Amino acid sequence: MVVAAIFIPGIISKTKSKVAGRKMPPVLQPFFDVLRLFKKGAVYSKTSSFIYQLAPVVYISSVIMALFLIPVGRLNALFSFQGDFVLFAYLIATGRFMMIIAAMDQGSSFEGMGANREALYAMLAEPAFFITIATLALFTGITSFESLFTHLNIEFNFSYVIGVASIYVLINTVMIENSRMPVDDPKTHLELTMIHEVMVLDNSGFDLGLINIASWLKFSIYGTLISNFIISLLLPLHFQIILYLIIQIVFAITVGLLESFRARNKMEKNPQWIIMLSAIAIVGFLSALIISQKIILN
Amino acid sequence: MEYIFIIIYSITLVYFSLAERVSKYVLLLSLQGLLLFSILFVTLIDIEIFDFLFILTETIVVKALILPWFMNKVRRQNQLKRENDTSVPVFYSIIIVVLCLLVSFLLSSKLQNTQIHTKYFTVAFSSVIFGIYFIIIHKNIFSHVVGYLIIENGIFLVSLSLGNKMPMMVNLAVLLDVLMGVLVLGIFVNRIGNTFESVEVGHLTQLKD
Repeated sequence: MVVAAIFIPGIISKTKSKVAGRKMPPVLQPFFDVLRLFKKGAVYSKTSSFIYQLAPVVYISSVIMALFLIPVGRLNALFSFQGDFVLFAYLIATGRFMMIIAAMDQGSSFEGMGANREALYAMLAEPAFFITIATLALFTGITSFESLFTHLNIEFNFSYVIGVASIYVLINTVMIENSRMPVDDPKTHLELTMIHEVMVLDNSGFDLGLINIASWLKFSIYGTLISNFIISLLLPLHFQIILYLIIQIVFAITVGLLESFRARNKMEKNPQWIIMLSAIAIVGFLSALIISQKIILN
Repeated sequence: MEYIFIIIYSITLVYFSLAERVSKYVLLLSLQGLLLFSILFVTLIDIEIFDFLFILTETIVVKALILPWFMNKVRRQNQLKRENDTSVPVFYSIIIVVLCLLVSFLLSSKLQNTQIHTKYFTVAFSSVIFGIYFIIIHKNIFSHVVGYLIIENGIFLVSLSLGNKMPMMVNLAVLLDVLMGVLVLGIFVNRIGNTFESVEVGHLTQLKD
């Protein structure tokens, strides 16, 4: 499958372009980190049960299944059916649910605290994603990822405005899902300020490698969704693939810039910021209702 | 074309509930004035040229330039920095702003009235409701005047949605209201600032006895 083979190197260059503000570690550094983690054995604490050992595997397998639902440019997704974006969102949510349970399974209060916050932010960010996809579905009348973007590009010329708003919401959703700035700092290990890191604090070895790979895959999935807005379908296949890779790289650089120029929000302000995103998505939805004249306004 | 301005106007309404610094309120008000100017420019193209020019200049000069300048002066004099204590946390007031928009949307789609231009009425009505809510939750006099100006913007849009022309009377009345409100603000804030050293509305209850 061409799509998945393209993802993984794209992901890796993505993760490291991010920190390129300071000094540049080699581009494939996370890849080597994960290889190193794979060689180590995992240490399981005595107070955890089978859930803890099961969770990272479920996490990465749910992300891979979600990967199968996304089309790239003109290539079709592996599975697609009506309303598959709901399955997509809930596959990713299942993975996150398993991680949260496993964190609570640890028996340590740190992980419970991080799991608590992560659950809240995921819950608040979920409407944003659904309403953005609903806006696009409203325009084109199609509820599957596969033909959604094809019809979007061809028919409407208001789609630029909606496209910009949707890309904004999607980029911020990526930052929330992968626990990046301004929601969560991946570098901090101060106890009261970790959110995602503290959930995976006690995972080691192979499990940690799997979790890292899953995070890259999620970045790449959202990058594909964003690039689908931009790639026009009239170009031949080779140009599409090259343009797709370029867009992924630009996306990675953008995420890196966004991350280096912001500090993490105060903890009380995080829920506000996330629900602001949902509010913007709803306003976009209402404006799509006006523009597509489902509600007649004179 | 005017849809884009309406969308940006509703985004400024949502942003009002999120912002916490007083200087951002003034900035948003001037942005709303600019948006009203653009909406007028696009919409009213078939009235007499003199009226048109007068309304345009009056809107842009008063709403986008003079008022924010005056409010900034008052703000700097009293050193108002940040609006920390709202009665309702910011989280819920964002939800309420979206509810305002949805309610006014539903209302304007139920009123199947051909006399109203519903595309403006929706945003105008939600602006009025949100202005009232803004006044309720904030405890600062300055923010009360900001909410009052949001209501005035909403009323302006309502008058735009109820017909093609913009009669002089409505315009002059709105101008007079705004002038009164802001003059009262200026006088009050200076006097209260001198007497009490704070502009919290809660402290004004000392005036009772």
